[in-house]
Amino acid sequence: MRRLFRHVRRSASDIRSELDEEMRFHIDARTEELIAGGSLPKEARAQAEREFGDMEDAREYIARMDRATEHARRRRWFMEEFTQDIVYAMRRLRASKLFAITTIVTLALGIGANTAIFSMVRGVLLRPLPFPEPEELYRVWSHNTNVGNPHVPVSSPDVEDWRAQRQKIADVGGYRFADGASGLDLTGSGDPERLSIVFVTTGFFGTLGMPPLLGRLPRDDELVRGGADHVVVLTHGFWQRRFGGSPDVVGTALTLNGEPYEVLGVMPPELRYPTDRADAFVPYSSIPDESIPHIRPVRILAAIARAGDGMTEEAVLAELNTIAGRLAQQYPENESYTRVTIEPLQRSITGSVRVGLLVLLGAVAFVLVLACVNIASLMLARATTRGREIATRVALGAGRARIVRQLLTESVVLSLIGGAAGVGLAYLIVNGLLGLSGDWLPRGAEVRLDAVVLLFATALSITTGLLFGMVPALRSTSANLQSTLREGGRGLAGTEGRRLRNGLVVVEVALALMLVAAAGLMTRSFVTLLRVDPGFQPERLLATVFTINTTRHPNPQYASLYARLLENVRAIPGVVSAGAVKDAPFRGEGERWGFRTPQMVLAVGQDEPSAMIMHVSDGYFRTIGARIIEGREFDATDRRDAPFVVVVNEALARQYFPGQPAAGESLVIDGENVPIIGVVGDIRQTAMEEPGRPTIYINNVQNTRVKVTMVTRTQGNPLTMAGPVQEAIRALDPDQTITSIFTYEDIVSEAVSQPRLLTVLLVSFGVLGLILGALGIYGVLAFTVSQHQREIGMRMALGAHPRAVQRMFVARGLGLAGVGIAIGLAAALALGRFLSGMLFGIEASDPLTFAAVTVILLAVAFLASWLPSRRAASVDPIMALRSD
Amino acid sequence: MPAKPMDLLQGTLDVLILRTLAAEPMHGYAVSRWIRERTGGTLAIEDAPLYKALHRLERAGCVEAEWGLSENNRRARYYRLTVRGRRRLKDEESAWRRYAAAVFKVLEPV
Repeated sequence: MRRLFRHVRRSASDIRSELDEEMRFHIDARTEELIAGGSLPKEARAQAEREFGDMEDAREYIARMDRATEHARRRRWFMEEFTQDIVYAMRRLRASKLFAITTIVTLALGIGANTAIFSMVRGVLLRPLPFPEPEELYRVWSHNTNVGNPHVPVSSPDVEDWRAQRQKIADVGGYRFADGASGLDLTGSGDPERLSIVFVTTGFFGTLGMPPLLGRLPRDDELVRGGADHVVVLTHGFWQRRFGGSPDVVGTALTLNGEPYEVLGVMPPELRYPTDRADAFVPYSSIPDESIPHIRPVRILAAIARAGDGMTEEAVLAELNTIAGRLAQQYPENESYTRVTIEPLQRSITGSVRVGLLVLLGAVAFVLVLACVNIASLMLARATTRGREIATRVALGAGRARIVRQLLTESVVLSLIGGAAGVGLAYLIVNGLLGLSGDWLPRGAEVRLDAVVLLFATALSITTGLLFGMVPALRSTSANLQSTLREGGRGLAGTEGRRLRNGLVVVEVALALMLVAAAGLMTRSFVTLLRVDPGFQPERLLATVFTINTTRHPNPQYASLYARLLENVRAIPGVVSAGAVKDAPFRGEGERWGFRTPQMVLAVGQDEPSAMIMHVSDGYFRTIGARIIEGREFDATDRRDAPFVVVVNEALARQYFPGQPAAGESLVIDGENVPIIGVVGDIRQTAMEEPGRPTIYINNVQNTRVKVTMVTRTQGNPLTMAGPVQEAIRALDPDQTITSIFTYEDIVSEAVSQPRLLTVLLVSFGVLGLILGALGIYGVLAFTVSQHQREIGMRMALGAHPRAVQRMFVARGLGLAGVGIAIGLAAALALGRFLSGMLFGIEASDPLTFAAVTVILLAVAFLASWLPSRRAASVDPIMALRSD
Repeated sequence: MPAKPMDLLQGTLDVLILRTLAAEPMHGYAVSRWIRERTGGTLAIEDAPLYKALHRLERAGCVEAEWGLSENNRRARYYRLTVRGRRRLKDEESAWRRYAAAVFKVLEPV
């Protein structure tokens, strides 16, 4: 027979005393029997004890055995009760389908969103980089202490000196990669192709410490000038794409920019550093000085270092600073670079998205807490109606702990079902987000729902279940038993229960307000960003990027090739105008040169000011729709042999020629006086958020650069012109490779992809929060109305106008909402600073946003109170008084 | 003078207890007495190992214990055979019979 209520639990001391009693009974019984047989009492007892044997040993043994028995029994009971609870919970959930479905959907949304964001946080921020001892890796920059720029790229002689003079640091290396700019032409077998190349110095592979998948890594002597440095290591992606993963490629030669490079090896697919888009690694030493001089002032390398055993970040920094200080004294070019800056490699990779992801994680956690509070108050209301059932069970002898456990099992079953649905949802969300995030998310390829994420989802589900189940479970079992039975099971409808439910509503409204405030701030910031004038009109602009091979086209042929390329493209039917620039906006930052104005007097030791340098063709500004403010842009008369002239942007003109026209003035560049022929409106180049910096535009035929972004304004869809433009380029050089093709609308869209993603997500969370908050208010008021039918009926019977009753309920709802809004506003203002780094053009305390958010919440609260209040007003006094 | 009682063979005690309880639930002292009477004192059984065996069998789920009242109205711990205990008794009994038969076959005069 199944035990009805409680199992008898035996403690260790219970076991001892029962054991003693059992033995005493035995000795007594045997003694009595012997006495009955004629023995003397004293002898009889002695014999009984003798016959028993080693009593102490038996007692120890039995006590141990019984404790084990008790243990096993308790475990069995627990499992039995657990199964019972689950079966019971399922039965109850089936009995109240609407409640179950509401709860499960709410939880699925909450847990799903949390799991999705967590999987992104894990993939991007938490998962260690795929290198041995990744925590030993650091990014290193030169620090220009003169102008106070701590993040200056490094020169190749500096990297070599750091490496040669290091003491405890395990290794130091550098690399050069610029998306779309660092590349080599692959010719020979198959179609000519522009490869995206990471140029590496000695120490690069040693620092990362990742062994190749196939073949070997270059030796140090293959990475230096004069060594056998025509070697190449392929990335896994390129090896698969170009060679179908054939291992035979190792040992063969590739023709890169017309020269043979031996393929040494292939890297494993995990190597995504420094970029996903690299095709191969080539020694930096193989870049000839005519292209990039290997001298200290040319600071274009990214440097990485690996700490030695047990070295702290401070120790790495101190050692590099010592070396940098030494170099600064030794070389005049390094005078200003007395220090370095380091940052853990992982953080430097994820830096830009770190804050965004953490804000999202925080917001999504709020959503889940809100969902928990919502369900808790829903369950509290249900527990009230379940009061009689629970009271009956208590009366029949069920312990409180047992009932709490059973109620918690019910909520955990709910949350686990919700969690399972949530994981499915998370899968969809993650795929959607990765699609939406574009290139914004570094390490995006490493985001997946793995075992850790599933574990997280499970733990989250159980915690959630316990969280929203705990308060109702404890509350409903502590309610006074007798009064509950007497009141006909109304239990929690009393004052205390109401206070608790009201508290929950206040919390919900506060949380909802914070979510909506975050969404509002982000939206307003995003709208502000979209209104930014980038300085050009991106519609119907096609960009074709390629690099002119200066070995085949040395100057002066280069200049005429460049001019003929433009001519050919302009002649294509459907092309309105065409121009060229070195780096399209947001796709490169050009260069930085020093300059001064003729009037400027520099103090001793003071560096010249510097400006961004961008190489453009004639007609570029007209093509992209930039404003010419003064003078003119380059035209066909500014030929290679004509006097050197420049165009400057508005920012430079305003800063260095305030209150006077800059066109007609001149700049001193490299000691030479260069006339300014025009001023052009600021064009956003580094980021949409960043106003144009002082920039000098240089005519590409007067100072040539190999990288060309050919920009064409088309009549129709720009992408349909991609083919004709390529043909026009190839017509002049059939071996010309194309690096990439895109439209200016694409780059504008990508430039706002991060704020767009954050806005979409925060607005979704805000809407979710608003719905949950509204449901909370609605639920509590509807419940109050249903519990107070009799009281309402009484009031009406005594002459209260239905409208007054309705007003009373709306006032109650708005009152609760008001308290929640006040708390939420205070909290949102306090938490706003976490968001401020992601906002553009507005403050984190933007009054307009907060006012709007308050109005929205009040409106929603009004609606959520008004609906149930109508029910109150429609109560029929007669029916209400008669019922229950 | 009766012959010196024989030591119990290892593992024999469990089967004796199970057999004893097969008739009806009884307390430890009754089990002890019953075995003593049935063997006529041939086997030297101390009570300590007997109780150890009873609790071991309880741990193994072969018997269940419950407090009840003895013949002279004292609280006593009664042991009852479970389904598992009955199955174990059957297995051990047949094993014993085979064992004994084998030994006898050797001992019988040829």
